[in-house]
Amino acid sequence: MHRRAALILLALAVFFAALSPLTRWYAFPRLAKIPADQYQDMVLVAKDATLLDYGTMTEREVPEVTIVQTLKGNVEASEKIERTTDRDVVVWDGLSYVQGPDGEMVSKIPERYIFDAHTQEPVHARGEMVDGDPVRREGLEFKWPFLTEPRDYAYFDAQARITAPIHYKGTRDFRGVEVYYFEQTIPWTEVPFPRTMPVEGITRETVAKTGTTRWYTTVRKFWVEPVTGAPVYGEEIHKEELRGGTLLGDREKVTAFAGHVKMREDYIDHTVDLVSSQRVVVLLMTSYLPWGFLGLGVLLLALALCVEARGRAADGPGTGEAVTSEPVTA
Amino acid sequence: MRALIAAVTGLALAFALVLALTELGTPTGETSPKPLLTTVPPHP
Repeated sequence: MHRRAALILLALAVFFAALSPLTRWYAFPRLAKIPADQYQDMVLVAKDATLLDYGTMTEREVPEVTIVQTLKGNVEASEKIERTTDRDVVVWDGLSYVQGPDGEMVSKIPERYIFDAHTQEPVHARGEMVDGDPVRREGLEFKWPFLTEPRDYAYFDAQARITAPIHYKGTRDFRGVEVYYFEQTIPWTEVPFPRTMPVEGITRETVAKTGTTRWYTTVRKFWVEPVTGAPVYGEEIHKEELRGGTLLGDREKVTAFAGHVKMREDYIDHTVDLVSSQRVVVLLMTSYLPWGFLGLGVLLLALALCVEARGRAADGPGTGEAVTSEPVTA
Repeated sequence: MRALIAAVTGLALAFALVLALTELGTPTGETSPKPLLTTVPPHP
């Protein structure tokens, strides 16, 4: 009886001990992924910003510019790409909609971001674009990988369509959450005009004919929760100028937009809550379960050895083998 | 010998469970019917 119990305990001990590394290094990389059907929106606000009045081509101070950013997982598109890539793919159709203080549209830039659901590495497939222009992204955009490391990453800038380093600047506390702070500076760079302009009749092509060019610089800041790789907060010090050409008359340049863009307060609270709950799920797979299983395995092994030892002691010396004496017949 | 068989059984069960779970994966779901926003939402 004791021996049987000891064997069952041993089997369970090996079962849980094996589950520990399997959960962390086999199951986690395969199960942790961004869902293909995710839908999320974000509102960012720039207070006391400078905005170009396209009617008069003069800059004006406005109390507030709002940026509404939506990301919508396109399940059909991701399944189509998965058939040819042998990877779990997420396709995000995004829209950055910029609204002026009177509710008028300032710009709207759609984009399609295709990436590996597990690693967040970009996947190159037909349809990858920013504002209708085909792009080939390198590096991250919007989200860092699970278990983000405290180091520099490459980050894709959708305005300039370039990838540049985003530097790790230290570990900080953001509203009770330990985060990695990253910062990227894009120096003054010539960028294309948006396809949708705020004034009807003005298009990217008509502006190009005037010789006026659009320039942009930004300092991008992200506070990233490292377990999930999700930014809990973001800011951008963003400046845009129009330079040269007949559109500006005798002026050399004019500010198209200048503002310190920050996440709206209610979205910060919502994001921190969401990321904190997701963090527990990731930690379950990477820490709580593996260590729990290992501890349980060791405990069960100790129990198995104990039961086996007690069984042997109960049997006593010489009782292990039953000797039967038979009458000897001569 | 019986101890070895018990250990191998435990190991095989662990592998079988993890392989089955990862093979099962997670459901992909459906594309949200909600639009890409062109208005400012009141709250998340």
